[in-house]
Amino acid sequence: MLALTAEDRGALLRKAVVVLVPLVVALALLAVMQWQAPNFFRPNNLINILVQTSSLGVMAIGMCIVMIGGGIDLSIPANMAFSAVIGALAMRWGVPVGIAVMLLTGAGIGLFNGVAVAIFGMTPFVVTLATMTVVGGATVWITNSQSISDFPEIFFDIMLARPGGIPVSVIILLVVAVIASMVMSSTVFGRWLYAVGLNPKAARVARVPLERVLLLTYVISGLLAGLAAAMLTARLGSASANLGNDGVVLDIVSACVVGGISIYGGSGRPIGAVLGALFIILIGNSLNQLGVSYFMNLVVKGVAIVAFICLDRITAGRAR
Amino acid sequence: MSMDKPVLELVDIHKRFGSAVALAGASLTLRAGEAHALMGANGAGKSTLMNILGGILQRSEGQIRLGGTAIEIASPRDARRHGISFVHQELNMLPSMTVAENVLIDELPTQGGFVSRKRMRERVAAILERLGCRFSPDDTVETLGMGDRQMVEVARALASDPRILIFDEPTSSLSEREKRRLFEVIGRLKAAGTAVVYITHFLDEIFETCERVTVMRNGQTVTSGPLADYRPHDIVTHMLGDVKLEERLRPPRAPEGEPVLEVDRISRQGALDGVSFRLHPGEIVGLWGLLGSGRTEILRALVGLDGLDEGAIRLRKDGRLQPVAPGDLHAEVGFVTEDRRGEGLLLPLPVASNISFANFDKVLGPLGLIDRKRERRFGEAFAERLKIKLHAISQPVRTLSGGNQQKVVFARWLGTAPRLFFLDEPTRGLDVGAKGEILKLTAALAEGGASVLLASSELEEMMSLCDRYLIVQRGRIVGELPGTADKETLMQALSGPGTGA
Amino acid sequence: MRDNQSTSFGQLARRHGFLIVLVAIFAVFTLATDHFATFGNFIAMLHAMAPVVVMSCGMALVVLAGKLDISIGSVAFLSSTFAVLLMNNHGVPPVVAFAVTLAAGAALGALNGFIVVGLGINPLIATLGTMIALRGVALQLTNAVLIPLPESVRSLGNLSIGPIFVDILVAAVVVIAADQLHRRTVFGRQLNAIGNGEEVAAKIGIPVGRRVFVAFVLSGLFASIGGIMSLIQVGSISAYLGRGMEFTAVAVVVVGGISLFGGRGTILPGVVLGALTFEMIANGLNQMSANPYAYRLVTGAIIFVAMYVDAMKSGRIRSRRKKLAVRDEPGRSTGTIAETTSRP
Repeated sequence: MLALTAEDRGALLRKAVVVLVPLVVALALLAVMQWQAPNFFRPNNLINILVQTSSLGVMAIGMCIVMIGGGIDLSIPANMAFSAVIGALAMRWGVPVGIAVMLLTGAGIGLFNGVAVAIFGMTPFVVTLATMTVVGGATVWITNSQSISDFPEIFFDIMLARPGGIPVSVIILLVVAVIASMVMSSTVFGRWLYAVGLNPKAARVARVPLERVLLLTYVISGLLAGLAAAMLTARLGSASANLGNDGVVLDIVSACVVGGISIYGGSGRPIGAVLGALFIILIGNSLNQLGVSYFMNLVVKGVAIVAFICLDRITAGRAR
Repeated sequence: MSMDKPVLELVDIHKRFGSAVALAGASLTLRAGEAHALMGANGAGKSTLMNILGGILQRSEGQIRLGGTAIEIASPRDARRHGISFVHQELNMLPSMTVAENVLIDELPTQGGFVSRKRMRERVAAILERLGCRFSPDDTVETLGMGDRQMVEVARALASDPRILIFDEPTSSLSEREKRRLFEVIGRLKAAGTAVVYITHFLDEIFETCERVTVMRNGQTVTSGPLADYRPHDIVTHMLGDVKLEERLRPPRAPEGEPVLEVDRISRQGALDGVSFRLHPGEIVGLWGLLGSGRTEILRALVGLDGLDEGAIRLRKDGRLQPVAPGDLHAEVGFVTEDRRGEGLLLPLPVASNISFANFDKVLGPLGLIDRKRERRFGEAFAERLKIKLHAISQPVRTLSGGNQQKVVFARWLGTAPRLFFLDEPTRGLDVGAKGEILKLTAALAEGGASVLLASSELEEMMSLCDRYLIVQRGRIVGELPGTADKETLMQALSGPGTGA
Repeated sequence: MRDNQSTSFGQLARRHGFLIVLVAIFAVFTLATDHFATFGNFIAMLHAMAPVVVMSCGMALVVLAGKLDISIGSVAFLSSTFAVLLMNNHGVPPVVAFAVTLAAGAALGALNGFIVVGLGINPLIATLGTMIALRGVALQLTNAVLIPLPESVRSLGNLSIGPIFVDILVAAVVVIAADQLHRRTVFGRQLNAIGNGEEVAAKIGIPVGRRVFVAFVLSGLFASIGGIMSLIQVGSISAYLGRGMEFTAVAVVVVGGISLFGGRGTILPGVVLGALTFEMIANGLNQMSANPYAYRLVTGAIIFVAMYVDAMKSGRIRSRRKKLAVRDEPGRSTGTIAETTSRP
């Protein structure tokens, strides 16, 4: 009874593989960079990588929370672009109002997704796909495909500051990651969410308010999309519909998949999503430095997604 | 007809899964044109035997003889080739497709590469005609009622012209009228020379449709013969075997005090029919009925896991009975489901978090976060109290033995100190030692003042605990017996006139 | 012949509720613009939607089996890329080049099928991966620049028989073939059965894996046909070929009444009606000189409604909470009784 069963060994192996493979790939990549493109290690580039990771990481954490509950939110980037645009328009009433509007818009759209999925029982993939289309369309319409770039200076001053040499956006990512990790590991909501993702039937028997928990995951991912909107607008200096292009959703999904978050729900941790995001940005950045085209970059990402799910599948013992 | 040579003989079949013995000498002799009832309590080995006959499982020992010749049945396809066909309990329907397609989907007739709707329709119409069905082969299955769908399932089984047809609990979802029709169909099949195996938990049905009966218990055939030689009560006795009367864990007592819970004519179509009873503090009430009688459904409906069409539930609060919604009653009940692994536990999670699951209020630290130390201590306290054997409170609950897993379920609910416990087959799949411990625990709950509703198919277990019995049949409570009722009376209650066992 | 199912008016309305919407859209644009309801414009619409119809047929087969293939846009792009490069750089005759495109489409479909069936990977993630990767390969091959087709091939775009463009005929042939395949062959019926319930289908004895694999192959093949058609229409290959096509096709399929939960709906008239809905909106809004961006918004809203209807029809949306009488009387229940609902 106390010995490790085959199942447990499978689970251990799975954990090891899921952690080791990205690590080995990343280290190999860094070695190649050291040899081929020493510029990669210049502090500026390293900071740049972290800054790029920050907004992707925040969105990946949102996706991670939705995925732990067994869902998926494809509307995150579209939501982010929409929130950025609405918030940018609201900046005329002051920076705090603008940022608040971004967060609220994001959360509001998340709420809409959540109601459709949790209350009406519609499939997450399709709901958020439709939201993506509607919100994306609305963004293009509002902006007329132009970008909005008249922000108060103070907005940039705040968001682009580097207290102690660390960019604000990286600090935001760290704070969000810490909070999300705490929520997932040490709050009642977090425990409920894992239960819902693992086994909704058992969760219901254990008195988990299924619908409310699922609803909340979409609100959270919407809220984080709003936060990412603020981070990204500040970095790019403008808000436009293009912030949420197709590539972003793929990056988010890849980050989560690489970060060991199961698409079947119930397992994974926010820190995985952050590391996954770092991994994705690292690959993009280093391939770029090596002179590999953006296009081959896409190929690498696509193959990586399938390969990681494959690994996950092969090594996953029948854990349930 | 029963004098004919047997069509099929299963002789002394044994089946082992590793060290576990599922069948230890099961035999069944089937004659053409007879309906043969196969009876047995849950876990008696009926389904294992049928899976061997269907080619899904392979026997470890024994012989299968078809018309006198020994055969092998290596796969479901083999079974069909030998003329053996099944009507399964769960209906395998393709709701958006037509009856004809449902019947022939795995062997659609074609002409020039296209499905020949004409031939398909003709073939299926002929089968439906034989079954006396009035719906058309072109009807979409989702427009049919449950009874008609059952007929579609029968039609699919008949499509391969079987000599032997096995019905596995075919009436569990049928109305009275639909059941009549099924019996007529079975009559026609018999007349046409088909041998029918009829598996059910309802005693009255077998006396109506079957000529012979075989009863299994613990993987063995315990008796077999013409039904005319048996009384319903005999069959129940064979099914349950010699109940070793263990000592009662506590003496039965009459209900005392004001009722804690009042259930008032709760109903759900097809499952529950006007169930009413009261539960008093500190008593253990047994829901006594065989599988499929509705005992599980009563428990699940009370806590809101399944819906209710009508009825009221009242719970004592502030000194008086107040109406309560099932979802809210859930918060007052420690609910142990019959499916421990599927519904009771979160298998990959540590023991500690499984125990703390309904008790987060007791393990919160500052800031409202879960304090892992307190959570561990909380879990360990229960592990110690219930003697849960584990090497670390952080080990996944999946790695515990069945009995210890069940104790974890109890620990979770004990932490909430509920006034009500609903236990559905709490000892299923446990070894003797673990069983005893769970039963003692149940007695202790009642001693502590909690009211317990206990559903179990094991009579000895019920008799060692219950203060009174509610007899459950077909979703109704048809009677009540005191805790002093003896084994004969309880068995009689199951086989009472016009009842399901 | 109808799908041999009960054809009462109520059922028809239920299954093709969007027919009514379609008529309404048609009426609005007819009244609001001068040239909407003209033969010429109608032909123009059919011409424009032909590639979408073809690609949606492949998507429809996959969706009928209860799966999704969101790589079709990339498959179309990559397989057409081969043809363009072969013709432009190696002087391969167009017929051979396009044959290579079709083969490539089927092969890429087989790749998807292998990942989904062979490796047992969730189709959404599998095709998401191939969607990115294949687009990347194609962009690499074309360098993401616009490559015009040879003049001889470009002229095919205007090829017409009488007033009817050839690609309309091709789309008609494909959609009829796909519909017949779905309704009248063993493959199609068993695919539909799989969409009804994979486990049930497997229990009955249908070779689920093989059927699903073939559905993906066909989806790839149809994607490449659609790719060739839009290639010829545009006259050149660019990074935009097939872009967003996966989402359009999903939308067409849902609006056409084919359930995303699988096993429900028919390719004819579903796919044609679905594609026509979107084409009419695009065309009508354009003629009204509406803000071109309004299109996506309207489209999204329509997808949402269609999805809701789909979920309702498939019994996904039940009245999750039955309100019962709250009076505390014998025989009456109290409060709200929640039904258990499994997560979709």
